[in-house]
Amino acid sequence: MTNEELTTDGRTESDESTYDSASDANADPDGEPLVEQSISVEGSDERSTPTNPETVIESRGLDVFYGETQALQDVSMEIPEKQVTAMIGPSGCGKSTFLRCINRMNDLIDIARVEGELLFEGKNVYDPDVDPVALRRRIGMVFQHPNPFPKSIYDNVAYGLRLRGHTEDLDQVVEDSLKKAALWDEVKDQLQKSALDLSGGQQQRLCIARAIAVDPAVLLMDEPASALDPIATSKIEDLIEELAEEYTVVIVTHNMQQAARISDKTAVFLTGGELVEFDDTESIFENPANQRVEDYITGKFG
Amino acid sequence: MATPKETIEWAGETGTVSQLRGEVFKYGCLGAVSFALLSVLVLLLYVAADAFQPFTADPGWHLTFFVTLVVPVVGTSVWYYRRDEPAGEVAIATLGIPIIGLLLAAALAVVLSIELVSVAELFALTVATAVSVGVIVAHARFRPRAAFERLVVLVGAPVVALFGILPEEVTMVVNITLRQLDAPVRLTTRVVSLRELVLSVPYLPLPWLMLVLAVTLPVAAGLGVLVARRRASEDSRTVIGMVVGGALALASLGPFVGPALGIDPVVWILVVTFSVVPLGVYVEGIVRRQDGVPGLAFPVLLVGGILLGAVLVEQFGFAPPDTWLDWQFLTSVHSRTPEDAGFYPPIVGSVMMMIVIALAAFPVGVGAAIYLEEYAPDSGLGGKFVTLVEINIGNLAGVPSVVYGLLGLALFIRILTMPAGSVIVGGLAIGLLILPIVIISAQEALRAVPDSHREASYGMGATRWQTTRNVVLPQAMPGILTGTILAVGRAIGETAPLLMIGAASSVRLAPNGFFDQLPAMPRQIYAWSTNLQPEIRHGVLAAGVVTLVVVLLVMNGTAIIVRNKFQREA
Repeated sequence: MTNEELTTDGRTESDESTYDSASDANADPDGEPLVEQSISVEGSDERSTPTNPETVIESRGLDVFYGETQALQDVSMEIPEKQVTAMIGPSGCGKSTFLRCINRMNDLIDIARVEGELLFEGKNVYDPDVDPVALRRRIGMVFQHPNPFPKSIYDNVAYGLRLRGHTEDLDQVVEDSLKKAALWDEVKDQLQKSALDLSGGQQQRLCIARAIAVDPAVLLMDEPASALDPIATSKIEDLIEELAEEYTVVIVTHNMQQAARISDKTAVFLTGGELVEFDDTESIFENPANQRVEDYITGKFG
Repeated sequence: MATPKETIEWAGETGTVSQLRGEVFKYGCLGAVSFALLSVLVLLLYVAADAFQPFTADPGWHLTFFVTLVVPVVGTSVWYYRRDEPAGEVAIATLGIPIIGLLLAAALAVVLSIELVSVAELFALTVATAVSVGVIVAHARFRPRAAFERLVVLVGAPVVALFGILPEEVTMVVNITLRQLDAPVRLTTRVVSLRELVLSVPYLPLPWLMLVLAVTLPVAAGLGVLVARRRASEDSRTVIGMVVGGALALASLGPFVGPALGIDPVVWILVVTFSVVPLGVYVEGIVRRQDGVPGLAFPVLLVGGILLGAVLVEQFGFAPPDTWLDWQFLTSVHSRTPEDAGFYPPIVGSVMMMIVIALAAFPVGVGAAIYLEEYAPDSGLGGKFVTLVEINIGNLAGVPSVVYGLLGLALFIRILTMPAGSVIVGGLAIGLLILPIVIISAQEALRAVPDSHREASYGMGATRWQTTRNVVLPQAMPGILTGTILAVGRAIGETAPLLMIGAASSVRLAPNGFFDQLPAMPRQIYAWSTNLQPEIRHGVLAAGVVTLVVVLLVMNGTAIIVRNKFQREA
């Protein structure tokens, strides 16, 4: 197995000195939203955000190294339950690396090394007694490029259940998952057709159905819409908002409008694998505390 | 007005950009390739002319077959190629399926007729296999979570059902090794296997019924499942039931209708199972889909042309060519008189050796490739070791075959005291020879599976083994099979290792078991090449070469078709 694809994120070393950290504390004085107001708050207003949600994932001083290169620096954050948490930042800032730390996909890379703690439901997932396979059965993942298996649509959705040895009620679970992923009406007559015959957007929704079929606690999404056209993207975004009623969703995106539209919390990573700001999406986009975050969001950089 | 033509300098009309070297290289390569291919073709034609002696026939014979066979076949081929490519594929398939089926049927008929396996044993084997598969499936259903127990059942059930703890051959080899090592222990523990239990039942069904149950039922069930998967719209049970029912009914006609037509019931059942039923299923699918129906005419034209030509030739009394490669050649043993010389024992021996080669090289080679690609570490000290191993596998692929023969002689004959020149030693030695090639081609096939599929599977909480088995292997299998078939095809032409392990030049008896003397096609051809009689050196030898080449071409053709088919589906 080659490592190239797995390590594209988090390897780039960038020069941080170009940004003036002295102006960090200078928040935008008049509180004007930096991104179009109508887009940024619409999503979060409609869904009444629970005031005091429980934390399901918490990282404490997380460092990740690929060989000699440090990909994440001392990241500490708390991800609330049943909300959408978005991670934004320029390429190579470590946001995908952080995502892959949560379900220990970085274990598949020989040279990756993780220090610090990452708690899932109060348990450090890097404890020696944690089986990454068992962990991944609780934390589903959707990838950047739709990657359905070259099997039938049905077999794709049933894959996770069959891994766990479930053989009963497969039909029902497959139907429910496809309905939740808003794909059922399009494929209900062709469940035995190859998943590769679907369009890109349908394939990505199939991957989401595959991930939620096993009823995970958390759904990780690594730029799930970046390979899709705008219509497919908007379908995926609607879907994510619906899914957040049942699942904790953590999403990495390059698209700031997307983060503003769909997320409740936003984490901004900047070059060097540093978590610069983590707050409610609204305050990040309207009134960021950090000057570098403001520069990034307004497009002055990145 | 635009600038006059003469002044355009960048267009290169003045020849400022020289393409001479490229042109020389291009035509040089073209010439070299054409020359090489042409000389091989001429050699093969020369050998084929020796084998068939076409010029001994009447011109009328050639003319008749040209009109009845060549013209319609070539005509339809051109038409398919130009106008209707799907029909061309159908034509190849409808011709290829029965031919491959007939080859399989012939192989099994030979196995049954030389009593390598009796019908009752085949039946017992099928029953034992079916029961062990049933036990595994039942265990998976009722205790889905007991993973370790499943592993025990997965290995234990077939071993107990088929062999009763361990096969005698394995026990024998292990005991021989133990004796060599002066160990005081010997393997003796055996229980009666289900297979033997079935054999000891006093009232077994009639032989033909056993054959139908042992061969036709599984083949038809497999085909039925295949068809049912293709046709998601219908109830799969009905489809499987129809295929199995039809096949069983057609096969069961054999013992009643066969004797009246002068056909052996065993031959009837085997031909129906391997040729007629698959062809029927395929043709039914073509007619239903209405895709490439004109292709069905091709085999009809071919067979009809041969029959019509034969009738006409008989009618006008044209003499056929005095060919060396005929039915008599394929079915008799070597003789000093060229007219009686035959190739039967080497064909059987080579096929049996091929089985040993495949059984020896495929599991080990694919297992090694899976380890190297999926499990072995990429970095650190382990990674360096793996790189070293991979480099050396590449080197082993280049070790001369005669050296592998020497290895076989030392390892299997001297150390393990297997009989010299036997089928098993030949197969194992050549299996070692192709092992590096199998490993390398399987590695290539595994590497071609996109990493995104592995990630998706791991992300779902699959273990490495589940990912390999459910995602990686199914996708890599066509590539692995293609590589293995090509390697085995290469292997059965190997002569040098056979010389080293002491294979006899001419064996007058087809081998009856894997420890018998090995007659192999290339070894026999080599022996004929030094024969004093020119008829044997030129005629009989040429017929043997053509047979060997045809076997290789059939295997390579199968490999190509398998690969193309799976590539299109993926």
